[in-house]
Amino acid sequence: MDCKGKMMKELRVENIIKSYGNVKALDHVELTVNPAEFMVVMGPSGCGKTTLLLVILGALTPDEGHIRINGKDIDQLPLDERNIGYVPQDFGLFPHLNVYENTAFGLKVRKYTEAKIREKVDKLLRTVDLEGLESRKPKELSAGQKQRVALARALATDPSVLLLDEPLSSIDEATKAEVRANLKDTQKKSKVTTLCVTHNPEDSFYLGERIAIMYSGKIIQCDNPQNILENQRNELVRKLIAPMYIEFRV
Amino acid sequence: MKEHRLTKDKFEFAITMLACAVVLYMLVSIFYLYVAVGESWNLVVSALFDSRVIGAVVISVSSSLIVGGLAIAAAIPCAYLLAYRDFRGKGILETFLIDLPQTFPPVTEGLVYLLMLGPVRLAYTYMAVIIAKFYVSAPFTISFATRRFKEIRESGLDTIARSLGAKTRDVLGRVLLPLSGRDMLAGFSLTWARAMGELAATLVFAGTIPWRTEIIPTLVYLTAAEMPQVAIAASVIAETLSIIALLSFKWIARGR
Repeated sequence: MDCKGKMMKELRVENIIKSYGNVKALDHVELTVNPAEFMVVMGPSGCGKTTLLLVILGALTPDEGHIRINGKDIDQLPLDERNIGYVPQDFGLFPHLNVYENTAFGLKVRKYTEAKIREKVDKLLRTVDLEGLESRKPKELSAGQKQRVALARALATDPSVLLLDEPLSSIDEATKAEVRANLKDTQKKSKVTTLCVTHNPEDSFYLGERIAIMYSGKIIQCDNPQNILENQRNELVRKLIAPMYIEFRV
Repeated sequence: MKEHRLTKDKFEFAITMLACAVVLYMLVSIFYLYVAVGESWNLVVSALFDSRVIGAVVISVSSSLIVGGLAIAAAIPCAYLLAYRDFRGKGILETFLIDLPQTFPPVTEGLVYLLMLGPVRLAYTYMAVIIAKFYVSAPFTISFATRRFKEIRESGLDTIARSLGAKTRDVLGRVLLPLSGRDMLAGFSLTWARAMGELAATLVFAGTIPWRTEIIPTLVYLTAAEMPQVAIAASVIAETLSIIALLSFKWIARGR
């Protein structure tokens, strides 16, 4: 339990296989994200990262394997009953809704009262530092602001798990450090179990309490950033984290 | 190099001229009617107030508006099915729902309805006008809505809505429909315009009873030889209404 009494959840991905024709996008993927942990799955484009997120989310059905939250199998639960927060690469804000309405979306469909919605949305928008922008439409926001709206919207329904797909890929370099720090800070405050996928080693080492290195649909190493820097399991891992390796060792 | 440019220019000139010829053909086809009114304009104006002409206009406009509304109601479930459900024979179903009604001979369709619905006393009624017009006109709205729903599915917005707890009714009411308003309006306008021009199916299935089933196209068809000023008056009304309505719908849709 966290300080607010909310149950923090463990996410387990067990032996997941997902194929597209003859191509195995996910090949016996095993992963455990501890309660309130920020785990990053890092790998090159096309290695199966987004497929993994969509399988956990329930948008794709795996060929084999199980997804468990706190030990409970959620394979049979439809997407709308899994209570998993999801922030896609392009943030996926509803273009016809303003910041407030986007953030309130999940609460409205769950039939919360207007007063409760107002209270929760105001609090979330304060947390992600978007006060005063409630009436802006997505097209009037910067990439960093869009990301924060998407994050607030995903957190509004108190999800068991938060999934982030390349959350920093649309952010320009000038503001990236700040946005990244905000992202980590928001996750810490919310204490939600988070699985983030990215191709960027720098983002992975900054954000992740643990990092799972993925290649060709397989997790080839999973450890905390320090251990990965010190002991790469093989040459492939060394190549994939090369930018960090150079930065820290040279 | 220079020679190549010259050749290219000549080719460009040729296709521009061809395009101009097509545009001229279209414009003349649309606007010659106003020229044809010519010196007999006073006869045409008096025909505008002819009870039969007014009746045909009322039946045409009202039935086409109803068909437009029904087309939207029909397009929503059909577009959802075609955009979100994957099943065998979906391509064929799409052809039967959207493409075939636009190419099916309307006169045959009128005959089908006459055989099928005549025995239940629907032939030669106002309802028959709507049924006949709906088949050939509704596919425009279904097509626009389906294309838009597919685009939204591609964008993944419905997946995000569902991840937030939205059920199908929420996805439809809070995401798909608000984001498809412009396309629905465009579909409605084309459906309305097509319904206004429908002749053969209505003629066969609904007949030409003034103030009941007689619409502008059937009135023009029946009076063109013997009372040309009535036919011209009715045609001027139909054409003017169609142009104004289409331009208005387009303007509204662009401004949304």
